[in-house]
Amino acid sequence: MASPEVHHLFHHPIADHSFSADKQTLAVARDTSVELYGRTGSGFKLKDELKGHDKTVTSVDIALNSGRIVTCSQDRNALVWEPSPTGYKPTLVLLRINRAATFVRWSPSETKFAVGSGARVIAICYFEEENDWWVSKHIKKPIRSTITTVAWHPNSVLLAAGSTDAHARVFSSFIKGVDARPEPGVWGERLPFNTVCGEYLNNSSGWVHAVSFSPSGDALAFAAHDSSITVVYPNGADQPPRAVISVNTQLLPFMSLIWNGESEIIAAGYDCEAYRFKGGEGGWQLTGSLESKGRPGLGDAREESAFNMFKQMDLKGKTKDDTQLKTVHQNTINTIRIYEGSGGTVRKFSSSGVDGRIVIWNA
Amino acid sequence: MSIIQQVTTASLSDNWRTINIDLLDPESSSNFDTSTLHPPLVPVSDDEIRTLGQQIRQLMRGGDAEGALRGALEMPPYGGSDAVKELHAETVILVLQSIKASEMTPILKRIFQTDGGSEALDALMKYLYKGMAASSSHSPSRSSAISPQSTGAGFSQMGGRPAVASESSTMSVLLSWHEKVVDVAGLGCVGRCMTDWRKV
Repeated sequence: MASPEVHHLFHHPIADHSFSADKQTLAVARDTSVELYGRTGSGFKLKDELKGHDKTVTSVDIALNSGRIVTCSQDRNALVWEPSPTGYKPTLVLLRINRAATFVRWSPSETKFAVGSGARVIAICYFEEENDWWVSKHIKKPIRSTITTVAWHPNSVLLAAGSTDAHARVFSSFIKGVDARPEPGVWGERLPFNTVCGEYLNNSSGWVHAVSFSPSGDALAFAAHDSSITVVYPNGADQPPRAVISVNTQLLPFMSLIWNGESEIIAAGYDCEAYRFKGGEGGWQLTGSLESKGRPGLGDAREESAFNMFKQMDLKGKTKDDTQLKTVHQNTINTIRIYEGSGGTVRKFSSSGVDGRIVIWNA
Repeated sequence: MSIIQQVTTASLSDNWRTINIDLLDPESSSNFDTSTLHPPLVPVSDDEIRTLGQQIRQLMRGGDAEGALRGALEMPPYGGSDAVKELHAETVILVLQSIKASEMTPILKRIFQTDGGSEALDALMKYLYKGMAASSSHSPSRSSAISPQSTGAGFSQMGGRPAVASESSTMSVLLSWHEKVVDVAGLGCVGRCMTDWRKV
């Protein structure tokens, strides 16, 4: 297996990252701006900076087809950046929220995006042609606390959201005139706006950090602060789910997760490395880390001439340099995203974290 | 006093900072009962927990420490009153004290590998923290008789005193259990203790 591609961009936390469809542009949320990096050979070079927010940018997402970038920030605003020959032009979106915007994602159809916020609402934003303006509609009930994360169903109508009230929920974000009427499925038949299609809580109920639909959209996984992941298999409208499987791990909590096919989940978080889960409706299991520990070329390999040992003892008072973690990321991983894949299977995925690194992994 | 001065003193006072604006907002998060967020807990009566305590003590006398521990952790009285919880915590700590240090890890490993073993160790971890909290909150009240100055200075200083000798031995038992549980169930177990709304 080829080793992961590591790009150390800066010594500063990365709140979120997103690649363009051709993988030549990388958008990174850093402090109050979004930095755009262009690929040059094997590395990334800063080529543009999107300045428009005046508080920390919490999330960024590039639409794969249109190339539009949406960002949101603790200043309670979201901006849509339209690409143009002279650079990106921002448009302010009226979110009508009185707390920070925490998370934003384009729907797969790219006609809408969802913004989670600390105001206990999710703003579903869409473009109104006649007013030439992005407008938002709120999903309010029954959210009881800050929305930390959202994820879209492949049909662009259903939206999963995780919250600090320890629930993962599935809502309908159907907007007349924007969306085609969705096919009835396992999540329900009639889906007017703000329908609650599912509300899930696991036993030890931590804050939900990440949610994700399986590639088919028929299962939902979420990761919570109790170091668990939970997979839900729904069973149609108003029925209890077919199966709710919770895997408690011995690890620190996961911050982000993606599906690789219908029977594999990759999750990463406070342990600074990615882990693989495998299973199905019958049960799920943690199968191990995606990193091979003690990789050559990192510390251990320089094992150790006597001269070097005494030199280290003289300089640092110890022989082993233990200031480096054995993982590629040197701090919490915030976001993992699919980098390359087809038909629901992931070939490569990218991760970003508090250490300012972007790493592209082979799944 | 001129009007201007009055206005300034009024606006300079920071009374407005103490206004709880959440009370004025009907949709505020402080205006709902957080217990509605999760399914209700099964109530546990005083009698039930006494019988369970008896059974567990019987197992202990019979030398089956592992069975006693397992029985004590299987159904923690999450829905019981404070008195019930206190009673069960005493039982659990009694069981913990009865197990030898060399036995701890093998027992924990066996419990962890069974079905629902991870849940049981989460419950054990909750009792360990409860036990530590109880013995450290006792010590300031006792120490006040001895030396009024040391208020909540921490149990570490109290440890050596003869008056709290038994307490410090409980603490050392709890600490060594804590270490062993983390070895077996990982740091995730500590995290779950903190996030869980089902308190022991």
